[in-house]
Amino acid sequence: MFQAGVREYREIYWTPGFQPRETDVLAAFRIVPQPGVSPEEAAAAVAAESSTATWTSVWTDWLTTLERYQAHAYSLEVVPGRTDQYLAYVAYPLELFEEGSVTSMMASITGNVFGFKAIRALRLEDLRIPVALVKTFQGPPTGIQVERDRLNKYGRPLLGATLKPKLGLSPRNYGRACFELLAGGLDFTKDDENITSQPFMRWGDRFQFVMEAVRKAEQETGERKGHYLNVTAPDCEQMLERAEFARQLGSPIIMHDYLVGGFSAHTTLARWCRRNGMLLHVHRALHAVVDRQKDHGIHFRVLAKWLRLAGGDHLHTGTVVGKLEGDRASTLGVVDLLREDFVAADRSRGIYFDQDWASLPAVLPAASGGIHVWHMPALVDIFGDDAVFQFGGGSAGHPQGSRAGATANRVALEACVQARNEGRDLAAEGQQILKQAAAHSPELAAALDTWREIRFDFETIDTLDVVES
Amino acid sequence: MLETFSYLPEMSAAQLTEQVRSILSRHLMVGIEYTARPDPYGHYWTMWKLPLFGTAEPDAVLAEVESCRQAHPEAYIKINGYDRARQGQVVSFVAVKPERGT
Repeated sequence: MFQAGVREYREIYWTPGFQPRETDVLAAFRIVPQPGVSPEEAAAAVAAESSTATWTSVWTDWLTTLERYQAHAYSLEVVPGRTDQYLAYVAYPLELFEEGSVTSMMASITGNVFGFKAIRALRLEDLRIPVALVKTFQGPPTGIQVERDRLNKYGRPLLGATLKPKLGLSPRNYGRACFELLAGGLDFTKDDENITSQPFMRWGDRFQFVMEAVRKAEQETGERKGHYLNVTAPDCEQMLERAEFARQLGSPIIMHDYLVGGFSAHTTLARWCRRNGMLLHVHRALHAVVDRQKDHGIHFRVLAKWLRLAGGDHLHTGTVVGKLEGDRASTLGVVDLLREDFVAADRSRGIYFDQDWASLPAVLPAASGGIHVWHMPALVDIFGDDAVFQFGGGSAGHPQGSRAGATANRVALEACVQARNEGRDLAAEGQQILKQAAAHSPELAAALDTWREIRFDFETIDTLDVVES
Repeated sequence: MLETFSYLPEMSAAQLTEQVRSILSRHLMVGIEYTARPDPYGHYWTMWKLPLFGTAEPDAVLAEVESCRQAHPEAYIKINGYDRARQGQVVSFVAVKPERGT
């Protein structure tokens, strides 16, 4: 019989010992409860508010079987080294989520609950997406292996550069900047995320000049080239119009900013890319707003998993060594989640759950932001072959210009790959390998002189918790 | 300029041997292909025999490259490494350029 009133969440939603089903979506939340709220009640509140509950009993609860749809907070641990923070594990039944929809998952799991008053701060650390749900997503339009096959690039990381200055070039000058970099030896150039279609350079003009540059660089070098044409637009109709024009011009790749554009728009574009044989480079503007603070928000590994589901062929992950935030072990965990078919739980890399991708295509991590030629041995050592390294300032900032800067990066990359394959240790011998390569490359020699002292040694904010082994 | 390693000086025989050794040590299968006219949009060069299934010695691979060069002195010759698990090439580079290349 219906009894009006408020019940404690933990009476229903805190179920220690509950065995999650293979098909459940599992979430790991970092919770800071308000003073006076027990961790069990806080964990139960998260499970409740992100599934079936509202703040009071309602008569319409009695028209369904809520047990079938409710989430279960099934485990709780204190964050190592803290007394006020807890990790809560929540299992959600598969039926709560629409097929093929990251948007649905976000609305449920990262909805109202993040503003809930009984919780001072809340962070979604990781999600286990069950195979049953993975199989309802298209995923990356192309995947790493087919991208390599299409562009004929093997046995080494790919090289790119973001065009600089990022704002204010005319379309023709922009195409020139693009041509110099590609002719010098890069595989890709990239629109900066701020470049969409401003008065100084409308998108159609940019696309035409850039594609002339791509074609000419291909003729000159005998290699395939591409430019990430940013199709991020005010609305989905214009996004698709820009994508279609890129296709007509013969571009092999386009770019989208998935968080600012939104997951519904992004998924539409990823599906369009699959239909049209187009590679999709994905930028992550906005991510640090959501993922940088340790106590509150969504960890980037979740944003990365969602991107692999929604679809993208490249995703920016951070460099480990450059100017942007990123804990090394944590970044490498994300790189695994993008590239591997199965990733085992490993708390030392911030991975809370086994993740089986069930043959979903893989995503190439893009390392970008403040990297230059001295970083090359570390980048090749850390990322291996399946990555794109984006040298923006690190190409165009070369004393002899972009073309020489691009050549310097390409020589450095190939020298590192050659040395690695010969069994040399890049971490230990990197500097020596670069200097040896510079003996036959004046471009590399000049680059090594220019950037000798630049380092970005700041403390990482989003660190991993120390886990006792 | 022809993709991987084309920005480095031409490899010595010893350096080439090391690259082939690294392919074999990863348990990749080696294939040799050649063409007189490389085209960035052409995926299929002519195969020199079948991939060298079961070959474990770099010298055996380089002997095949040499046979190919003698039979086709006008050709570019590349060495590929196939990964069965990934079902694709993971290594490919031009090992020989014709003396009067284009």
